[in-house]
Amino acid sequence: MLIGITLENNKPDVRKPKDCAAEMAAHLDTVAKERCKASFAKVFGYFAPRLRSYALKQMGNEAIAMELVQDTMSNVWQKAHLFNAEKGSPSTWIFTIARNIRFDMLRKLKNRKEDVCSDDMWPILCEQTADPKEKSLEEKVTLQQVGELFNQLPEKQKAVIEAIYIEGKSQQEVADELEIPLGTVKSRTRLALQRLKDMLETHD
Amino acid sequence: MIKFHPTSQQLNKFSDGLLTPAEALMISAHCDMCPQCSSKVMLYTEAHSETLFEDNSQTFDADLFGSMMADITSGEVDRGIASDPQNRVIELDGRKFTLPRSLNRLSESMGNWSHMVGKLWQAPVNIGGDTVANFIFMEKGGGVPEHTHRGSEMTLVVNGEFSDGLANYSSGDFTVMDDQKIHTPSTTSDEGCLVFSVIDAPLHFTSGWARLINPFSHLFFK
Ligand SMILES: [Zn+2]
Repeated sequence: MLIGITLENNKPDVRKPKDCAAEMAAHLDTVAKERCKASFAKVFGYFAPRLRSYALKQMGNEAIAMELVQDTMSNVWQKAHLFNAEKGSPSTWIFTIARNIRFDMLRKLKNRKEDVCSDDMWPILCEQTADPKEKSLEEKVTLQQVGELFNQLPEKQKAVIEAIYIEGKSQQEVADELEIPLGTVKSRTRLALQRLKDMLETHD
Repeated sequence: MIKFHPTSQQLNKFSDGLLTPAEALMISAHCDMCPQCSSKVMLYTEAHSETLFEDNSQTFDADLFGSMMADITSGEVDRGIASDPQNRVIELDGRKFTLPRSLNRLSESMGNWSHMVGKLWQAPVNIGGDTVANFIFMEKGGGVPEHTHRGSEMTLVVNGEFSDGLANYSSGDFTVMDDQKIHTPSTTSDEGCLVFSVIDAPLHFTSGWARLINPFSHLFFK
């Protein structure tokens, strides 16, 4: 599990972020494509201790600092496919993830009532529809096929998808209309889209 | 052409995530409309990340991090669902306005437009906390009576042009007004002007009949 880590124990990696940017970008790529734990260990080994010092300074509390490190690194693992080396270095990407988590944490810790979250301003972890893989998938499927698959969805999911994607309503509007919680609309949308996607992928 | 930008200090703090939520939201919406500030923010962000990760005083401690790493990599990978980053469009009387992306989610729960004094329209956006956010639309010839502020007022021009006796503003311009400044926003453009405004205390009207509404101003501009 911890291959490559034990060796580096006690011997800090003193390289500057710039000096290992290319190497870290390559590791992130492997994590994205193969969920490679050894590559993730390299990224983790370099960034986690640094994030911890930062988090300790910022939050002044060991438990909260470790939560910040864990949330950040967990996103790096989960969302490695969203890292784009053309847009910036691995260290900048990881910093923005940590900053967003800290922003949302501080808002809660300070008991601020503002309903402004980091995703509103920095949507770095939002999945992009413009993924070339998804596009080619779309091109392969005709509208009629989608229609057939759509009809196979459970009624409740169908109603939500219809309102959002065909009638162009917002999730909130759908929730009000159907008198169900917003969270339910979100989960139905998600389940339905996931289901459609699965069906499309097994379709050809 | 955008003439009024946030200060470099604001942009710097914004990139570090250190502004208050309301201020950060305004700066972010401005950056959506302003390539110049948006590239400054990128540079600041890079600088912050350099500073953060240059600190190599912590070594990798397997006791501290080993289980965390195992924990992270053992979970299912949930890719989530792709969202469409399209900017939302809001409507008033048949006019359509495309919003800066940062206001997408919050504008989903905006209240109805209400027609107020002086060819003014207002629709509240609930951003919580002590701040009050509104879309304000001034029809041609319309405006807000002369006032000053007990707290601060941040304004972003979403679409159109207006003047306030101190300067002329157009789409993308961002201003902050405080208790040192008295102004009278109004528009003379045919298309009218839509602004997004955030205040942390009710306005204080300073002239003419409008003074009469001071005791109730929290009902109007809140
Ligand atoms: Zn600007």
